[in-house]
Amino acid sequence: MTVGSQVKGCFSSIKSAEATLSLLANKTQDQQTKEVFENTQKILSEVKEDLQKQVIWLGTEESQYKF
Amino acid sequence: MPEWVEIIIRTLATIVALFLITKGLGKKQLSEMNVFEYITGIVIGDIIAVHATDVDSNLFYGVIAAFLWFIIPWGAEYLSMKNKTLRDFIEGKSTVFIQNGKIMEDNLKKERYTIDELQEALRDKNIFRAADVEFAVLEPSGTLSVLPKKEYRPLTAKYLGIEVPPDKQPETVIMDGKVLHEPLANLSLNVNWLETELDKLNVSIENVFVGEVDSDGQLTVDLYDDKIAVPSPTEKPLLLATLKKCQADLELFALATENEQAKQLYQKNSKKLKSAITRITPYLK
Repeated sequence: MTVGSQVKGCFSSIKSAEATLSLLANKTQDQQTKEVFENTQKILSEVKEDLQKQVIWLGTEESQYKF
Repeated sequence: MPEWVEIIIRTLATIVALFLITKGLGKKQLSEMNVFEYITGIVIGDIIAVHATDVDSNLFYGVIAAFLWFIIPWGAEYLSMKNKTLRDFIEGKSTVFIQNGKIMEDNLKKERYTIDELQEALRDKNIFRAADVEFAVLEPSGTLSVLPKKEYRPLTAKYLGIEVPPDKQPETVIMDGKVLHEPLANLSLNVNWLETELDKLNVSIENVFVGEVDSDGQLTVDLYDDKIAVPSPTEKPLLLATLKKCQADLELFALATENEQAKQLYQKNSKKLKSAITRITPYLK
């Protein structure tokens, strides 16, 4: 496995976690819990954006592995 | 009129009367808050029993007596709600038995309690040494309320400094294999959601004896068929595991890369994720 695909895997895990969090935030009846879930979701989306840039950059670096 | 017919009539009439009286007196009567209420209950029961079976007695007199035994305690309770002095007189006051860790012998004598009885009451509260008690009070209902010294009290999350997420009462959404629509609506969920969740658990609604949803929207069910194993909710533990894995991955990438810029990016995000995990962990347990 190349570094690129590893980072890609991590990227998609983050994406899935973000989706689960938004689901939980919508389901919960408690305001404080909702806020915690939403804040975490925000942090995850920041991390996700950074990783996305990295995925693109690694894609250009590792172009020889693309076929 | 044959006597057995009269007994039937009397019994039916007194059952109705007793039902109305107990409804009127309410739940408080059952908890027997003080001696007066306790005895009131017995007397009403006795009057009803006598007039149901004794054909020589006058049923009308019995109804009058039962009504009076109902209306006077009821009125006394109503008045005692309005006035504190009257309340202390009618409902009785509590007596302090142990204060600042010291036994109040005079108060014990006043309530005709021996030290043996006090110790027995303390043991009932799982306290085997009077010295472990900070404060104890005999309530008007006759029960002893005990406040142990701080070091003998059960540990709480606050004392340990553990953050616990707030939660609300769970709602029962399935009972005897049928959907209860009102609690479901209270949680702003619908039948479609319920069906999806049941599909995930791979059970049909007819097989569910009771299904409850907690404030985080997790469904737990008990089935009629106890041989079928129901998986416990995995959504939250799975999410926590995913977050932890991503954080570890980012740390690994930061160590593996030789590009300084990429290293810093990974490290920054790893730290971000770590603090987020610390914050959210109590909510995902």
